[in-house]
Amino acid sequence: MHLTLDEFVDAVEGTRSDASLPHLADCEACRRELARLRAAMTSAAEEADVPEPSPLFWEHLSAQVGERIDAEPDRRWWLSWTRPAVLVPLSALAILVLVVALAPDWRGASGRSEPGTHPVLPQATINPASATDPTGDATDVAADPLLALVSDLSANMDLDGASAAGLADPDSAERAVTHMNSDELLALKQLLQTELARPGA
Amino acid sequence: MDSSLTWTQPGPWPMALADVSLDGLDERALVEACLAGRRDAFDLIVERHRRAVYQLCYRFVANHEDASDLAQDVFVRAYRGLRKFRGHSSLRTWLYRIGVNVCLNRMALRKPPTEPIANRQFVDLEGETGPDRLLKAERQARVRAAIAQLPRKQRATLILRMYHEMSHQEIADALGSSVGAVKANFFHALGNLRKLLGDEGA
Repeated sequence: MHLTLDEFVDAVEGTRSDASLPHLADCEACRRELARLRAAMTSAAEEADVPEPSPLFWEHLSAQVGERIDAEPDRRWWLSWTRPAVLVPLSALAILVLVVALAPDWRGASGRSEPGTHPVLPQATINPASATDPTGDATDVAADPLLALVSDLSANMDLDGASAAGLADPDSAERAVTHMNSDELLALKQLLQTELARPGA
Repeated sequence: MDSSLTWTQPGPWPMALADVSLDGLDERALVEACLAGRRDAFDLIVERHRRAVYQLCYRFVANHEDASDLAQDVFVRAYRGLRKFRGHSSLRTWLYRIGVNVCLNRMALRKPPTEPIANRQFVDLEGETGPDRLLKAERQARVRAAIAQLPRKQRATLILRMYHEMSHQEIADALGSSVGAVKANFFHALGNLRKLLGDEGA
């Protein structure tokens, strides 16, 4: 039986002596093949030298690498958004926005609107007294069904992960609604109405 | 070195060591320091491995300009992926793995040019006479051209085994293959090299 591939490699690399391979003494073909492999290895060894660059090249190489790295955008902040602690609460928030935008019950007490007509939406009632209140505490969120729904939905949302990630405090979504001043509430309400008035909503 | 600088305890770089000298740190601690935001730690990694990485690239493309560009690519990719380095292999093996991928990808895009013998002004052949220098340069060019014609895995295996003295296992790690595959590739690389060089070359 001829030498195996492993035996040839070991013999060429010198990790096995020819004496440990008795087959070689009896097989001219294997001796010839081994001699060819050794000759090829000797030839390859002649190419061992890599031309030495200028002594200044190495610092130039380091500088070039440094410049390219400095030009790289900092990816660390982006990677942090892929962590579950951030991704889960953000996904919950996205679902909340979709629910707010697509919920059919928000189209008013009259139910579905006729095709081609815009739904009749309740108008937000802004307490005139709250317009001048910098804290916005005087705003009656509960009186407005749209804002109340946002507040209710966000109250039970798990934002602990977002809090841990430094993105938001617990219950921040609820407080964002209940602590809005009148101008902010009006802007939010207009956004919600615009979304609900869209034909596909 | 502070005992807190261990591979198994990643985290913020200790404030007390924010200005510590990096010279005495091993490669794992350097990687940790780099991940903690110390760019100078990566500069030191580049300084320690730039010659080996450049030589690896040169053996694939056989010209200085491309080897320089590829070596830069290797380090930039290493910087981007430093977080993926788990320390299962040495940093050198990891860099070689990146280097082999970068070089093979480049060579897949275009046939590698070999540097004309006349352009090899940096070859240190001092002590050899004119005819000897020319003969050696011709032999080297012929061998280099033959290696460039080897299939990708065979070429990478031959280069890493012959010129970078990597073990079969290290090459297997670098190429993402097995020791058996490495030995087979080395065997076939030598056989094909012998055929390409012909009887006079071998």
